[in-house]
Amino acid sequence: MSLVDNINKEFELLEKNINGQSGSALFTTRKQAFSAFQKLGIPSNRHEEWKYTHIKTKLPESLTITAKGQLQVTGGSYNSFANIKATKLVLVNGVFNPELSTIIEEKGVTAGSLKENLASNKELSEKYYNKLVHKYEEHFSLLNTAFATDGAFIHVKKGTQAKVPVFIIHIYNSPENFAQSRNLIVVEEGADINIVVDFQNAGAASFYNHVSEVFIGKNASANVVKLQTQTTNATAVHTLEADVDRDAKFSCTTISLEGTLIRNSTNVRLSGENTETHLNGLYYGKGKSLIDNHILVDHLVPNCQSNQLYKGVLDDEAVGVFNGKILVKPDAQKTNSFQSSKAILLSDNSSVNSKPQLEIFADDVKCSHGAAIGQLNENEIFYLKARGISEANAKSILTYAFANEIIQGIVIDELREYLDQKIKTQLGLDF
Amino acid sequence: MLSIKNLNVAINGRQILKNLNLEIKAGEMHAIMGPNGTGKSTLAATLAGREEYEVLSGEVIYKGKNLLDMAPDERAREGVFLAFQYPVEIPGVSVTNFMKAAINAKRRHFGLEPIEAKDFLKMMKEKMELVEIKKEMMSRSLNEGFSGGEKKRNEIFQMAMLEPSLSILDETDSGLDIDALRIVAEGVNKLRNKDTSFLVITHYQRLLNYIVPDVVHVMFDGTIVKTGGKELALELEEKGYDWVKGKTELVNN
Repeated sequence: MSLVDNINKEFELLEKNINGQSGSALFTTRKQAFSAFQKLGIPSNRHEEWKYTHIKTKLPESLTITAKGQLQVTGGSYNSFANIKATKLVLVNGVFNPELSTIIEEKGVTAGSLKENLASNKELSEKYYNKLVHKYEEHFSLLNTAFATDGAFIHVKKGTQAKVPVFIIHIYNSPENFAQSRNLIVVEEGADINIVVDFQNAGAASFYNHVSEVFIGKNASANVVKLQTQTTNATAVHTLEADVDRDAKFSCTTISLEGTLIRNSTNVRLSGENTETHLNGLYYGKGKSLIDNHILVDHLVPNCQSNQLYKGVLDDEAVGVFNGKILVKPDAQKTNSFQSSKAILLSDNSSVNSKPQLEIFADDVKCSHGAAIGQLNENEIFYLKARGISEANAKSILTYAFANEIIQGIVIDELREYLDQKIKTQLGLDF
Repeated sequence: MLSIKNLNVAINGRQILKNLNLEIKAGEMHAIMGPNGTGKSTLAATLAGREEYEVLSGEVIYKGKNLLDMAPDERAREGVFLAFQYPVEIPGVSVTNFMKAAINAKRRHFGLEPIEAKDFLKMMKEKMELVEIKKEMMSRSLNEGFSGGEKKRNEIFQMAMLEPSLSILDETDSGLDIDALRIVAEGVNKLRNKDTSFLVITHYQRLLNYIVPDVVHVMFDGTIVKTGGKELALELEEKGYDWVKGKTELVNN
């Protein structure tokens, strides 16, 4: 049986078990998503957006979506950020785990299980849940909508300046399942919050499909950091859908250091005027890993500013993919949009596929993109060698310097230091 | 300290250094002067081990060892220092981290443990004072956005930190205003002692008012055409390079 056959069977089962609720709004959403998914299936590399990312071959046919048996997390890997004062929502294979979570109460901030909050807050659920995903139909986000039952939920009420950051720590530990996890983040008008979404593989291998929806209300600010730094042997699709309303500020930094296959699709809708969006990324592939960043910034209205800065380091036989699209719709005059993608190849067998795209339908805009792929600068290497630093160490230092620009942009001090140290350790640097 | 015999060097198939000979003893300050394009910087780059420079023949013995057999980083760890004419900007690496990496590379080479944080800081403080560098500069990216003077002072600071036996200053004075020149020169003078040697490459005599050389060489067309005491620099200043040029042409003819 193929993976899609498994998925079909499982959905039938889900439908049966849901008995009595099959007419609910949420189940209707699931059904619609599932039938859309059935039409698309799992993309092969003949699909333009999956050309270099052969995910079909990386997902074993025996995977099931529903977990077989009880899954327990052993060890303290979820506790990497022990020294950071923050609310920590821990999810295991997409299911909220209250025992492992730490919630620091803060007025105006709700953080907890998505399942519980969707059930208890119908108004919010109807207003926001799955309202972004259908805008850009994609195979995996549809599959996620059909099956995801839980995840993290963050709601920041109007005018709340959250002092404590919220960490969403997703741990996956089952090599038999294709886990579906889901986050919903709503930052209301004039509110402000720092969010870290961390993904970890605690099992021999993991397969997961994650969707986050992020709403940034009028004059609000959300700063999101996505971490894929403990995802060795993970095959994963991450879709982040964000909507940025008038005068709001959104920034998202994606750090991918580990993984068999890591796909990040980041789709941002600029739906209100005068917004500012920064999408930054750092990816570092080693061994045979593949790291794919797909970005879509959709300028719908005038006077918005968006910036993309992605940096990649590819070593061994690693493959990087960068596909960044800036879409400027006819109404989006006075758009300022910039994109820069830089990658360094450290070995002869590493590669990167970079595809910047500009689609502009307005006539009074400022847009630019630049893509550079290269090796480390020989003059810089020589300068370091001339001070006694070995060639290998000089290359590590310069790789660190290249990556540092993205790390320095992280606002939570302890997190920035943690990542700085992580990269140094990865490169064998001792300063 | 350094003995260069019949050195012939080419770059991109064009020969630049021609049968160059030079002898520097421990504790000596040598200056090489000469017009542009005569091979002064080629000599500096060859001694530092830049790969593009092809040594056709000749030998360079440094402290009894064949320098040309050593990789550039090994030469540096063994005490050869090149102050760059155009120091390279490296965004993302702070001066402090860079210095720590360099000091520890040298220490490892001699079988020592990495430097203790407090010793490192003390050393940094001392050497910063030597070239009047502000503390803030240490956390800035290496040479990035530094003024010309700051870059050159930073080179001398690195030299002071690494305590080389042989320092080669490649046109360290060019592009410096008089105050920066004075600071750089005073820094160099404080580092002079009986065990260290210097090779100062310059186009102008001005620097030699502040750093008084033991020996002055005049270089022309890839080789040293005249060697003398410090008064040679003054004579050259007065008569100009055409004077040497004329003499060389006479010899050649």
